[in-house]
Order: sequence, then structure tokens, then C-alpha cells
Amino acid sequence: MSETFAVLGLFDSADALMEAIPKVRAKALGRVEAYTPYPVHGLDEALGLRRSPLGGMVLVMGVLGVLTALLFQWWMSAVDYPLVTGGKDPSSWQAFVPIMFEIMVLFATFTAGLGMLLLLNRLPHWGHPVLQSQAIRGITRDRFALAVEADGAFDPASARSALADAGALEIEVLPVPAAGPMFTASFIQRSLAGIAAACVVSGSLLYWAIKLMPVLPPMVHMENQPKLDPQESSTFFKDGHGMQLPVAGTVARGFLPFAMTTPEQSAGLVNPLPRTPAVLARGRAQYQVHCAVCHGVLGDGVPTLTAAYGAKPANLHTPAIRAYSDGTLYGTIVLGKNAMPSYAADMAVDDRWAVVHYVRALQRALNAKDEDVR
Amino acid sequence: MSASRTRKVLWSFTALGGAGVAASYFVAGAPRFWANWTVWFLYLFTLALGALFLVALEHLVSARWSVPLRRIPERVASLLLPLVAVGIVALGALPVLYPGAKPEAASDPVLAGKAFWLGVPFFSVRVLFCLALGLLPLWILIRGSLRQDRDRDPRFTIRARRFAPLCMAIFALLVTVAAFDWIGGLDPGWYSDVIGVYLFAGAFLAGLAATTLAVLSLKGQGRLQGIRFDHLYNLGGFLFGFTVFWAYIAFAQYMLMWYANLPEEVVWYQAHLGGLWLGVALLLALLHFFVPFFALVPRDAKGDMKRLRWVALVVLAAHWLDLYWLIFPALGQRPLFSWPELAFALFFVGGALLWLRGAMETGEDMPVGDPFLEEGLEFRL
Repeated sequence: MSETFAVLGLFDSADALMEAIPKVRAKALGRVEAYTPYPVHGLDEALGLRRSPLGGMVLVMGVLGVLTALLFQWWMSAVDYPLVTGGKDPSSWQAFVPIMFEIMVLFATFTAGLGMLLLLNRLPHWGHPVLQSQAIRGITRDRFALAVEADGAFDPASARSALADAGALEIEVLPVPAAGPMFTASFIQRSLAGIAAACVVSGSLLYWAIKLMPVLPPMVHMENQPKLDPQESSTFFKDGHGMQLPVAGTVARGFLPFAMTTPEQSAGLVNPLPRTPAVLARGRAQYQVHCAVCHGVLGDGVPTLTAAYGAKPANLHTPAIRAYSDGTLYGTIVLGKNAMPSYAADMAVDDRWAVVHYVRALQRALNAKDEDVR
Repeated sequence: MSASRTRKVLWSFTALGGAGVAASYFVAGAPRFWANWTVWFLYLFTLALGALFLVALEHLVSARWSVPLRRIPERVASLLLPLVAVGIVALGALPVLYPGAKPEAASDPVLAGKAFWLGVPFFSVRVLFCLALGLLPLWILIRGSLRQDRDRDPRFTIRARRFAPLCMAIFALLVTVAAFDWIGGLDPGWYSDVIGVYLFAGAFLAGLAATTLAVLSLKGQGRLQGIRFDHLYNLGGFLFGFTVFWAYIAFAQYMLMWYANLPEEVVWYQAHLGGLWLGVALLLALLHFFVPFFALVPRDAKGDMKRLRWVALVVLAAHWLDLYWLIFPALGQRPLFSWPELAFALFFVGGALLWLRGAMETGEDMPVGDPFLEEGLEFRL
């Protein structure tokens, strides 16, 4: 005969069960457990079940949730990417409270639900031995079972007599069910085959869904705007260009009107900007936006648009151009030269002078003297 | 201490407090006197309404567990009777504290536009109407309940359940109007829709705490046999839940106003969180939320008589602090607290306890005529 899991005694009322519990527990034959068709008040105390640790777990996780949300938001909004919203200090605690509350609830409820199911009740259960007893039909209907479960050295005969003394109407000895191994070769094979089949089916469904149906963007926040982007054509303006020259007779902010129509007039101008790292950085940025497409990032006239552009842009390192005064360079930006158009409409005055500084720096870098390297 | 001795001590405390109250009018000045009076009127009014809410709630949802306890909030709610007199006296505060009812309001174009609502005549009519309306549920629910003790007529239970929804509407109206008039009226330029709900949260907590204290004290005298851990646990659970509700409402109002930063809203918080009032507000958050919340978190604490007693006392003190924090900033930037406040506390607490002691000795301790009493006594968690 196989090993005994438990001895079950059946009672016909909750009161009879409650009376029997202390008598059976007093004999200390094994773990005493009750199986009833509905919750019976006072059963937990009678069985001497320990208080569930779930409340403590929920408290700890709730507090952790509050702290997590606080730290997370503080780090994101005040440290990593400070954003001023509504004129508030990015580290304002008031704004964090709703999220702290929500995350506290999230952590606490997940702990309560999953902790109860997985940790404390050890689900998923593949089956409980009592479910295979003869008595289970009665237990789920109108009978109250008291079980003495094997716990170490166990004597079914004395458990049987203890239950009989306590007034059990029927007694059943329940053997430990023969448990098959869970992870058999065929189980693993079938699981893998199932996963593979699911991948193939869902993958092909997705492929054909995207292929056959027009792909609609799920959310178009502000992607489609009626504004004109640079280089776009326009049906609004007569010439069909999206980009327009400033209206004649107007002066934009930051653009000083400058009565300069010939290179000679500009030759004597002096660069008003100091030669500081900030100015050079600005000049470099402007140069790379406006100049580098033709003159090359090094200013050597090797453009990034060689294939598309027929003319030959100037090499800024020739002795002739190096001999230009700052004012002449400035004038070239404003007036253009040969195939080069005027950049007066695209670059602010300070940007032009910053570019002049940067071009000088490029020239100096390719024609460095010994003391520059030292 | 014997009952008659307790009675004598209470009487002497009340008399001493009464003398202090009278003296404070002449020594500390009229505004402070009226501010204190308003605080205590609202304190007891909301407390009694909170207890009434508990009674009406039981009828509304046909609760069984609270039937054996119902007589206690009914007795607490009977405070609404003497409060009619307190409320009528409180009308004296209007020309002193309330900008819309002051004589100089006519010269302010904004206040002049609201003169009909904020002025003394309609304000007084409203207050009198509310005080009278509060007696209606008292008449129907509590007098009927006492009569059921004698005639054991189950039809009262059905009538009470039919009346309960209307009682809730009356309750909502009374609390909201009280909050808008007595608290909002101190600062007529201030807008807050939620102040009525805020006062409701405090009112229900105060009524619940008073009920809990009375239950525990009666149990200490060996009365209310049959009230077990399970019943106390529910009271404790309610207390626990509504501390969170109060904090939720209080913070919701604060955060929205803080975020929007509208001048007409935020000026109120500048007065109530500026200077030493910030300390009062922090103490309020501590006593009204953090202490009761963490004291009642463990399961056993919600039914533990010792724990419940001091938590209920803390909640009752916090409700006074709440009203103090709502009303006293109208007097100035510095929190005023000295002998006049203590004298008012002696007078009103003593008087309320005298009334409640009398009520506790009247009639049965449980609604013995209620058909669901047995079921309520058998209640288990």
C-alpha cells in the first residue's frame, strides 16, 4: 500500500466540525486541516492558523511604491531632463503626489493579488490530493471534512480512531497520489511546437495584415501641419517657391540695413566680434549650415554636393582669399560672388561676422606656423 | 468616579469655560470671540451632522452590522437641538468677521454685487433655514427610532429606508451651504467648489470618532453587551478609510490651486500657509491623516479598544484644528492661541459632554424594536 496523505473524517454540520477540531488537535497526530463547502466563521482561530503575512507584504510594497515613484519622478523631472511646467520648480513635490499615489496602489494591489496567488497559495496547483478522494462530492455539497494530514512520522490508525472519537460519521484514508513527472520529453516537445506554431501563425497574419491593408498611423499628433517647410514648393505664392525673400522695404529683427552695394565698400569694415570660443562655435555652426555644402567642411572647396553642382566653388585657402580683409569676406557673404548668391537674407549680422572669424581659423589651421604647434 | 461626581466636574468645567468665554469678549476683543464661536459652532454642527450621516447611511444601504450601534450616533446627532441656539448666536459674527456682511461692504464694487447673497439678511435666513432643516431628519429618523423601541413597529424601518435618500440630500445641502457660507464667506473673492466636500470629509470623521468614543466609553461601563471586535473593526475601518478620503480631498484642492496659480484661488493658500500658519497646516496633515492612518493600518488595530480610543481623540482634536486653520487666518497672519481658545474649548466640550451624558442615559442603548437587531448582533467579519 502506498504512503498516506491524510485521514479524512466527515461531519454533517459546521458545529460538529468546530467541536471536533480541538479534540483532534489535542492529540497532535499531524497537521489538522478542514475542508468545508462554505466559509465557516471562527475556523481559522480553531485550526490555529497563523496570521497571513500578506498585510505586511502589501504595506512594505506600498511604501516602496511611494518611494519609487518619488525618486523616479524627481530624477526624471529635476535631474535628468529638467522641464519647467507652468512656471513651477522642476522638483516640485506637489506634482509628484498623484503618481506616487497611483504607483503605491499599483505595487500594493499587485503584491496582494500575485502574492496571495503565487507566493502564499502556491498556485498554479496541478491538483490537490483531496480532490481525488471519495469524500469530495460531499465536501463540495453538504459535508464538512476534517483532515489529519501526514506530517513526519504518521500513524493512520491512530488518526482514524481520533477522528472516530471526535464523532466523524465517515472516515477515509487518502493515499498520496502517484505524481507523474511534470517536464517529460513529450511535454517539452509539445510546448516548443506550440510556441513555434504560435509564432508562425501570428507572424504571417501580421505580415499579410500590413501587406494587404493600408497602414494607417495609429496616432497623428501634429505631424500634418499646414505650414511650409524649407525647400517646399507652394501653390500660395506666385513664383511657386515656399521660401520667399523678405518683403521690399522691411527690416527683420537682428538684420541691420547696410547700404553696401560693392565689394570695395565693404573692404574697410572691421570685425566687431571678439575672437572667443563662443563666437567661434557660433561661426562654425553657421558655416556648416550655409557654407560647407559648397566650400567643404574644411573650406578647401571640396564640396559635399560635387556630383550635383556644376560650378567649381572657391578654395578658401588660396593666397588670394587669405589676403582678403575681414571686411571683404563679410562683403562676399552679403553680396555674393560669381555663382554664389547673397546670404544676407539667411544670416544675421553677428552670424556673418562669426563665420568670418571661423573662416580665418580654418585658414590658420591649414597654414599653421611653427609657433602655433609649439 | 461616581456618575454624579463626574456630572459636577463637567458642570464646573463648563461654568469656568463660560466665564472665560464671556471675559474673552471684553478682554480679547469681538473678532477673536466670534472666530472662536464660529469654530465651535461649526465643530459641533459638523460632528452632529456626521453622526446623522452614519444613521442615514445605515438606513440607506440597509446595513445590518451597525443596527446594534445605531442608538449611539442617534444620540450624538441629537446635539443638533441645542446647536440651534448656538447657531443663532453665531449670527453675531456676521458684521464682525464676514467681509460681505460688514457695513463697509457697500463701498466695495465686488462685494456690493454679491450683497444679496453675502449680506446679513439673506445670510441669516439661510442659516436659520439650515438649522431648522437639520431638525427634520432628527424628527423622522431619531424620534421614530425611539418610538420603535416601545411599539416594535417594523414599519418604521421601511419608512426610514424610504426617507434616507432625502436625508442624504438634506445632509449634502447643509454641509455644502455651511462650508460656502461660514468658511468661504470669510474670503468672498476665493473660489473653491470642493470646500463643501472637504467639510463633509471632516464632518463624517468627527461624527464617526465621537460615535466610536461613545461606544468605547459605554462598553467600558459594561453596557452595549454583544458589541464585539467585529463591530469595532468596522468602525475602525470607516475611520481608517475616511482619513484617506479627507487627505485626498484636502490635497486635491491644494494641488489644483497650486498648479493653476490663479490669483483669486491662490491668495487663500497664501494666507493659510504663510508664516506660522504653515506650521499649523503641517500639524493638521500630521494629526488628520498621518497619525490616524498609520495607527490604523494593522488589521488588529482597527478593532483594538485602546488604539481606537486614542485615535478617535486625535481625530476629534484634528477636526478642531482643521476648523481653526480654516477660520482663524481671517484674524491675521499670526495664529492666536491662549486662554480664550482654552475657555471656549472648556465651555463647548463641557456643554456637549453634559448634553451627550444626558442623552446616553435616555432610553435603551440599542434599538430594541428594530427587526434586524438580532442579525446585527450576530454580525461577523
